[in-house]
Amino acid sequence: MASRPTVTIAGADGKPTGATYPLPAVFASPIRLDVVQQVHTGMAKNKRQPYAVSEKAGEQTSAESWGTGRAVARIPRVSGGGTHRAGQAAFGNQCRSGRMFAPTKVWRKWHQKVNVGQRRFATASALAASSVPSLLFARGHRVANVPEVPLVVDSKTFENSAVTKTKAAVALLQAVGAGADLVKVQKSRKMRAGKGKLRNRRFRQRRGPLVVYNPEVDGKDLVRAFRNIPGVETSSVFSLNLLQLAPGGHLGRFIVWSSAAFEALDKVYGTTTTASALKKDYLLPQNVVANADLARLINSSEIQSVLRAPKGEARTKRTNIQKKNPLRNKQVMLRLNPYAAAFSKEKLGQQTVESAKPERASKDFLNTLYEA
Amino acid sequence: MAANVSSDLIWQLTRTQNAYLVKRNSGGGSQFSRDPLNLQNKHSFKYAGYANTKAVGVQATENGGVAVITKKPSNPQQPAKNVVTVTYGPNASTRKIYKGVADKTAKNGYRADVREDAVARVSAIRRSQKAKKETPAQKPRGAKARKAEEKSE
Repeated sequence: MASRPTVTIAGADGKPTGATYPLPAVFASPIRLDVVQQVHTGMAKNKRQPYAVSEKAGEQTSAESWGTGRAVARIPRVSGGGTHRAGQAAFGNQCRSGRMFAPTKVWRKWHQKVNVGQRRFATASALAASSVPSLLFARGHRVANVPEVPLVVDSKTFENSAVTKTKAAVALLQAVGAGADLVKVQKSRKMRAGKGKLRNRRFRQRRGPLVVYNPEVDGKDLVRAFRNIPGVETSSVFSLNLLQLAPGGHLGRFIVWSSAAFEALDKVYGTTTTASALKKDYLLPQNVVANADLARLINSSEIQSVLRAPKGEARTKRTNIQKKNPLRNKQVMLRLNPYAAAFSKEKLGQQTVESAKPERASKDFLNTLYEA
Repeated sequence: MAANVSSDLIWQLTRTQNAYLVKRNSGGGSQFSRDPLNLQNKHSFKYAGYANTKAVGVQATENGGVAVITKKPSNPQQPAKNVVTVTYGPNASTRKIYKGVADKTAKNGYRADVREDAVARVSAIRRSQKAKKETPAQKPRGAKARKAEEKSE
């Protein structure tokens, strides 16, 4: 890396404080949507609670098959008499009040192990994506008024538990240009379709900014300040979670960093050459290509010098591709049928047949024909 | 833009899903875009304003004018400073707007490939902003016309 780009640190009013910090190396890690999606699907499964139908459901009768010879199917039938239930089929998944097919069990494999290397790769990837404004826009965040991405707010703002009230937290987010994203979340609140309403998932809404702090410097009071703002989540730099960094497996979460958290990133992740201080033997993943700009690669002198010159002119006649109709296009017709020129010049197509009636066959001819 | 990202990469990452993409089964499953920097509202790399470093958008303003938005390629990391908006009022001559838009998109090596689309979009917006003509009252014909004539006489 020739020169690491720097990020300006914004104050509580959203204006730059003048302080800058070099961009941590995580933001240069490869952005791999496939890795993020796969790890996300695995990790999203790890918060599930087991569910199953009752073990006894559909099996609570003493039904026995009547065997053959009674002109009914050999399915188990409810014994006894005196009630309509007697003689009805039971147990089978096709039966009314029968057990379901393959009853669900609580010992289903609910959780998935995701290798820690893959989890870290995905997290680094998601962090890198969070520093690309285009991806934030594509994820739907309203970041048009944000002064800079990644957005870093000076930790002095949070010092001595300055932000403990939600009012102060909202004012801070609005000052740094995240107000539009908060409005988006508020407007997106909709009643959930289906049974989830009864299961403590009554509303669905978009996600807003993620506030990342450093608990050692910023303290934890800001968590309480931010937690009641719709869509806003908080996370410590030391325990970043892919489910928050790339919700739904979609890259480009809008992150508001505290400067202490931002500066801690190099300690947490290290670089591609120096190992992380907090993760054992961890180096950041390397990019496969040094330059991802395809147009620049194609137009580079290295590649252009080894390419052969294009055949033909800028606009080549594509004779073999487009079929022309010779009945409409005279030039094509002449190419196929040179006689067509004379034919149309003489107007042979428009002439009527001259001889009116065929001549009668001569008598001699007929005599020879019918000779016995 | 950092070395690990480029317009091409962003397009590949967001081609299958993004916040602007509109998919419908009607119309043969055509795909549109709600991107304000998209000149044809079409889901394609060429017109994807969020993905390209240079992009042009033409939008109608509330007062009946036209706003032309362009992206600055110099500072992609600063979204607030990244767009330039030029607005033309409702009374600006349409031909002058065409000229301004064409110059903005095609001059100085900006985006000559979308010049025609930008001008076409201005034209479409201007047409949509025209006041609708009222349909003239129908002339009576046939028996009705004769009756009307008798009355007037």
